[in-house]
Amino acid sequence: MKYFFIFLLIFCNIVFADSKEKRTNEITKNLKCLVCQGQSVYESNSDFAIDIKNFVKQEIVKNKTDEEIYEFLKDKYGQNIIFNPTFTLSNSALWIVPILFFVIGSILVFRRMSAK
Amino acid sequence: MASNVANFILLLAIFSSFISNLFFFKKKYSHSIKFFNYSSLLVIFSFCLLVYFFCTSNFSISAVYENSHTLKPFFYKLAGTWGNHEGSLLLFVTIIAGFGSLFSYLFRKEEMYHFKSWVIFFQNNIYLIFLIFLISTSNPFDMIVPHPQEGLGLNPILQDPLLVLHPPFLYLGYVGFSLTLSLVLSGLVLRQLDNNWASIVWPWVMIAWVFLSIGICLGSIWAYYELGWGGYWFWDPVENASLMPWLAATALIHSLLVLKTKNQMRNWTSLLAILTFSFSLLGTFLVRSGVLNSVHAFANDPERGVFILIIIFVITLASFIIHSIYSSRTISIGNNFFFSKESFLNINNLFLLFFLFVVLIGTIYPIILSIFNETISIGPVYYNTILAPFVFIFLLAMSVGPLLKWSNKINLSYFGFLFVTFSISLCLSILIIILTNQNQLALFLGLLTSLVLILTIIFEFVKNKLFLKAYYYPRVLSHLGVGILLLSIFLNGFYSESKDFEIQLGENKEFNNLSLKFVNQDIYKINNYLEMKTDFEISKDNQIFTLKPSVRRYFQPVQITSETSIQPTILSNHYLAVNFPNQNENVLGARYYFNFFIHGIWLGMFLIVVGGMFSAFKKRN
Repeated sequence: MKYFFIFLLIFCNIVFADSKEKRTNEITKNLKCLVCQGQSVYESNSDFAIDIKNFVKQEIVKNKTDEEIYEFLKDKYGQNIIFNPTFTLSNSALWIVPILFFVIGSILVFRRMSAK
Repeated sequence: MASNVANFILLLAIFSSFISNLFFFKKKYSHSIKFFNYSSLLVIFSFCLLVYFFCTSNFSISAVYENSHTLKPFFYKLAGTWGNHEGSLLLFVTIIAGFGSLFSYLFRKEEMYHFKSWVIFFQNNIYLIFLIFLISTSNPFDMIVPHPQEGLGLNPILQDPLLVLHPPFLYLGYVGFSLTLSLVLSGLVLRQLDNNWASIVWPWVMIAWVFLSIGICLGSIWAYYELGWGGYWFWDPVENASLMPWLAATALIHSLLVLKTKNQMRNWTSLLAILTFSFSLLGTFLVRSGVLNSVHAFANDPERGVFILIIIFVITLASFIIHSIYSSRTISIGNNFFFSKESFLNINNLFLLFFLFVVLIGTIYPIILSIFNETISIGPVYYNTILAPFVFIFLLAMSVGPLLKWSNKINLSYFGFLFVTFSISLCLSILIIILTNQNQLALFLGLLTSLVLILTIIFEFVKNKLFLKAYYYPRVLSHLGVGILLLSIFLNGFYSESKDFEIQLGENKEFNNLSLKFVNQDIYKINNYLEMKTDFEISKDNQIFTLKPSVRRYFQPVQITSETSIQPTILSNHYLAVNFPNQNENVLGARYYFNFFIHGIWLGMFLIVVGGMFSAFKKRN
């Protein structure tokens, strides 16, 4: 029984450590490296990116949620550090316009098909 | 001296092009074509001159001075010709002329001589616009006095064999569509847009499409091993700029199919042809204007950007005006039932244009917002989220569409056959999901739909003995390529792993079931760069191999590039990239990627291109 708990402890530790790293990767993949050209923080090795990576790692260790981390970075560096922009009025067009395009397109295509 | 000669040749080319227009208006068509060809020869000659200046490092020429260096290997001196704005624009103009001349040489139907002269007329004017733009804003032959002894060097990240070929192929694709535009405008003006016209246009569209596809693939492969990010596609705005004309052209090819066989969709096809060239120009604009922040934006000059924007506007507007004057108002009416080839080709066009539109919005939206002083970044998450659901439906439609017949006959026997492929794919994808313990809906749907497409094509190929009929090769190969490409994208996306770490010489690192040992480090000084070479011993599943990533620091201009090391296995790649250590430290940063099923991505791309080649050169009936 004792060994089982030790095993469980080690196992959890591994899984937990792994998920921490995964979270760091996921968050940094979604952050734009502001001093690079078209790279994410995850991909870049610039000083800026390394600082941000370390920051994210520390915050995760402090048990901060993803939202808190994003929020902090957004306040400090601005909206454009986050790749996936949060849904705001000014970028709602980004999602609505393509869908609208598709809907209108399908109406046109179906009208064409049923034309006799 | 050299500069004067070259400039004189360019002026002669402009003059000759004007004469060609003059003869056209005087209805002396054979002279008009002849003078276009003279002009085209002159421009080709001037491009050869520029290549010669680059190879001999003639620094009295501005473009050579700014983009070359005597220390550079010969191969890259040659590549420097198009590794800059001026030279690449000359290449652009040369290819427009080249396509026109090739058409005038190969197209020999006497009864369509009038049509031919119109095509050359339009081609001549597109060519003339760019030639004037070249000379007035970006003349590669500007002279530098006094004559400098040394050049400034070529961007080192561009010093790579694949990148020597990437821009010319991309340009051959982009510019190839200029001929498509000329063919469409001539067809409109002469009211000859019919199935006969479609079969004349077909090989020219396919050739440009094949070149563009090869160009995109080369760029993707280069990015994979050179940029050291472990990926093959980054949704970088400039990659998007090449994807947009590709999507438009792919839609064009499919609607041409309807025009060729059913003599329908004339207006729509001509509209797509205009769009394709406009997007090619937009691609050029985005790369050349410096409005984008990207690895590719190496020519930043807003003033030129404005000029290119005006050119795009003029050419597109003129084309649309011609289209609206000459297109027939009658809507082509056919008994189009839902389960017919025509309607599925319509659906194909709808989806491809939707993809195009998403890419367009994603690319230009940050630019538009930046006008209002708001900055956002659009990355892979946006594209993946919005495109994925549509890609699934698209793949299913792509499996069904080719099986259907033209007009309205529904062959029910095919549905049984589709049911079989669907069930097999369903079992396979559930099995994969369970065995690998990756319960993700996107992965499941991606596997399912791409497997349906692949299996349907294979079954059809065997059942209908399509290998005996060369007529089907292009479609079968390209569609199979798309299936394999998307299957691999999903597998790669969900099963790849990566690890960032810091390591010292002699140190050993363990991850999962892999151990990695840093065994050797050397620093060399080579020609125009300093290189740190490293050896890593990797052992995994009783297999031992060595990866030798290195990193270079170039002097002229100063830049760091990473030379990744890749060990391919049957299903995956082990990929390692290193960085220079920080000052006074022995620890260096490295990044290891396990890239699953990456071969499938290259294979898919290869099949798509080969299918296109078959189609471009197959005997037309």
